[in-house]
Amino acid sequence: MSLDPEIVVLYCQHCVAQDAHVAVAAEQVRGLTVRPTLMPCSSKVEVPHLLRILEQGADGVELVACPEAKCRFLVGSLKAEQRVSRARGLLEEIRMGGQRLGFSRKEKLSAEALLDLAEARAVAVKPLGPNPMKKGEPA
Amino acid sequence: MIRTLLAGSRLERVLSAGHFAVTAEVGPPRGPDPEAIRKKARLVRGVADAYNVTDNQTAVVRMSSIAGAKILLDEGLEPVMQMTCRDRNRIALQSDLLGAWALGIRNCLSISGDHQKAGGGGKLKGHPGCKNVYDVDSIQLVSILKGLRDDAVQQGGDSIEPAAPFFIGAAWTPLAPPQEFRLLRLAKKIAAGADFIQTQAVYDLDRFAQAVQKAVEMGLTEQVAILAGVIVPRSAAMLRYMNANVPGVEVPEDLIKRMKSASDPREEGLEVSVELIGALRQMPGIRGVHLQAIESEELLPEVAERAGLLPRPEVLQGFMLQR
Amino acid sequence: MIVAEWKPVNELAAALGSHGKILLVGCATCVAECAAGGEREVETLAPLLRMALQVEGHPVEIRAKTLERQCEWEFLEELDEIIPEVDAVLSLACGIGVQAVAERFPQVPVYPGVNTTALAIREQPGLWTARCAACGDCVLGETFGLCPVARCAKSLMNGPCGGTRKDGKCEVDENTDCVWTLIVERAKARGSLDSLAQVRRPKDWSNSRHGGPKRMFREDLRE
Repeated sequence: MSLDPEIVVLYCQHCVAQDAHVAVAAEQVRGLTVRPTLMPCSSKVEVPHLLRILEQGADGVELVACPEAKCRFLVGSLKAEQRVSRARGLLEEIRMGGQRLGFSRKEKLSAEALLDLAEARAVAVKPLGPNPMKKGEPA
Repeated sequence: MIRTLLAGSRLERVLSAGHFAVTAEVGPPRGPDPEAIRKKARLVRGVADAYNVTDNQTAVVRMSSIAGAKILLDEGLEPVMQMTCRDRNRIALQSDLLGAWALGIRNCLSISGDHQKAGGGGKLKGHPGCKNVYDVDSIQLVSILKGLRDDAVQQGGDSIEPAAPFFIGAAWTPLAPPQEFRLLRLAKKIAAGADFIQTQAVYDLDRFAQAVQKAVEMGLTEQVAILAGVIVPRSAAMLRYMNANVPGVEVPEDLIKRMKSASDPREEGLEVSVELIGALRQMPGIRGVHLQAIESEELLPEVAERAGLLPRPEVLQGFMLQR
Repeated sequence: MIVAEWKPVNELAAALGSHGKILLVGCATCVAECAAGGEREVETLAPLLRMALQVEGHPVEIRAKTLERQCEWEFLEELDEIIPEVDAVLSLACGIGVQAVAERFPQVPVYPGVNTTALAIREQPGLWTARCAACGDCVLGETFGLCPVARCAKSLMNGPCGGTRKDGKCEVDENTDCVWTLIVERAKARGSLDSLAQVRRPKDWSNSRHGGPKRMFREDLRE
């Protein structure tokens, strides 16, 4: 890509180690722009949220959830996974590319591991090209 | 036993005279060529007392059963015009019945009809997106037929002149769930006016015999002539398919094994059919067989011959004069 | 309630591509209950459509609003000020709501965003099944509370047909129960199997759509 891919990572406090969140700032690292976003819980993320993030120009979104057995809302992370799946389907339908959305289960990620996730997502979206919604981008 | 004839068809006369009746199925073509029916007529002539012409079976458009029935009549064969409730409302059904009678058709089998979804999904496209009708169901259609015959009246109350007497048929699928209710439903068809019954294909003689025995106990076999369905098997795959996909058809595992290990499946299929017919002839309550060889009508003469069903009995021809 | 399902998004994008400003309006009643046209669906469809149209090269401005119901003239008044600012409306309401919007605002094209399909109940989360066919001649008291018009593929009054599968499902759909099998079971459980022995007469369909577009008039409720 000519421009750095912008990857938004959504996670809760249990998914990421305390210092990792602070360490990963919204700056250019490894050739991509990572926007780490702390959420109350993955289960709070709904399809409209994911689509709006992409509508606003992010090239990819990675939703990090707790391991299934550790979900504090019992089935919350399962719902999050279902929603990501639905949103991916919708993105495929409109030819935006389902792989702009990712879902993984992690706990106590270090800063490095968090960046690994973001980088993996950037690699996945690379073949799609930049998000057509980016301001000033040709359609 | 002297009995006033209801419609005077050959099928009725054969049954009235106490013979073991034979009907056979003739499927109309997926096109307008009358020669296709004439060819089949030539193949099966003499095999049966009457020949069923199906009505857009499996919701696939074929030449209409009324036209097919008329062509058979012209070839000297007596038709049983099948009528489903899927495509026509009560106006069209009654109108077609009046027309059928005018053309000389005297037997009618009333069935619900496969839902139009059955028409697509296989090799054919069918018309799965069409509207269906099902204005009346098969039992109500039996009542309608009775009204046209015995009271010279249409379903809505208007009279017809003269009456249109048909020998009225209905179907029975004794082995489909809910099994105990199937006998009650058979009783309903008889109460509505059914004169003869054709059953779904029989392969499991024990289970079929149990159901028929119950019908005997309920007195139903006195009131209606039951003809058991026999479909000539051509392969183990065909039997397996029917067992899995055709509701009410139960094929015992050893029969499938037998067909599978046969060195000559065609011959084995004929043997099986002959054995089934032999057993059904002995079964109390069964007064005939309904033979089907799906798109292989040429097998039927051989089956009938080997099963000892030929020649068909002589009965007085001619139709009922108007009352 | 009335249930509906999304039309394919690309179909909507194709219909809307020629307009510059669209009002996407949802309904918080029936279609919200079946997750087709409520606020959440509006908030899903708005970014989705914007992206779809951008990808196709027809970027469009989408304004979004969800009304309590679109089948009440009073609620539609809330759109009075927005309509002059848009050149088309995409309504996620059932067919009734879409038509109400079109009737109140004949000056703009109104497109349906969903296909209205049935009168259904939510059997379980994520599963709605049709229960009523609005036949205008309810016989539920005689069929043990199970509707053969809506739930039998052939609307038989004297079912079941010969097509019941071995597991009691309908020949038309392996996931759908044969409702007549259910009726027989209930009749048995209540010791009333003989009530099903009566031949039910042909139905009078004239109080439904078959008798013409339904017009229900109550003199006592006129103003």
